[in-house]
Amino acid sequence: MLLDQQADQPVPKEARTSLWLHLRYCPYCNRYAKQTVKIAEWAKAAAAARASAGPALPEAAKERMRERLAAAG
Amino acid sequence: MISTTPVPAQWPDRYGDELYRFALSRVSDADAAEELVQDTFLSALSGLATFRAEASERTWLFVILRRKIIDYYRRQARTNHVSLDELGEAGPTEADFFNPENGHWNAQQAPVSWLNADAALEQQELHDILQRCQQRLPTQQHAVFTLRFVEELSAEEICQELGLSSANYWVIVHRAKLQLRRCLEKHGLGKN
Repeated sequence: MLLDQQADQPVPKEARTSLWLHLRYCPYCNRYAKQTVKIAEWAKAAAAARASAGPALPEAAKERMRERLAAAG
Repeated sequence: MISTTPVPAQWPDRYGDELYRFALSRVSDADAAEELVQDTFLSALSGLATFRAEASERTWLFVILRRKIIDYYRRQARTNHVSLDELGEAGPTEADFFNPENGHWNAQQAPVSWLNADAALEQQELHDILQRCQQRLPTQQHAVFTLRFVEELSAEEICQELGLSSANYWVIVHRAKLQLRRCLEKHGLGKN
């Protein structure tokens, strides 16, 4: 959990050192640290890709919105 | 010269597609995305007086939509709110991944190498798998993960929006990452 905190905000020097040592001797934890950074990057990239190439707003929904805007305006 | 006066009647045609794609990229539910876009237009209409000509109409609408998305996740997370004690009931816990006696990874859950992982899968395939894995997260974890890593809100902002304590937040982030990592491996990452 300290690993997640360190990726997100500054942690005290002592905790940082302890984490560094832990990662040095725990290959799985080291791997996990790198993989979770990748997951965050991919999640951002995937959302950006969907936002630029997703489907259009259905025409029926546009019509409904035009009506709602006209009624509210 | 481009007019800087908003024309609400033209919003669905001018900005509907772009706003909808953005909303859908965040909530992955077509009905919810439509509703977010509609709410955005109606909120913008009722707040027309707050529109400042120095920002573009498009930018202004996106700011409103983004706020609506955060509200959507807040509602989702609060409807399914679980306390720290109850978090174990909302999906796997640390005990599923680590040996409680020594804190080491359980052999079956230990991360395998993802060397060349992004090259092993087509980018689109990777994105689809990740999206499916995100959707499988318990509601609160999904909300926290998306707000933090897609919307890029700070931990403090998320705690405030979702009414979480700091301790609770870190447990949720940690479990969301553990589960996403495991889900991605189950769907082909690291098996190249």
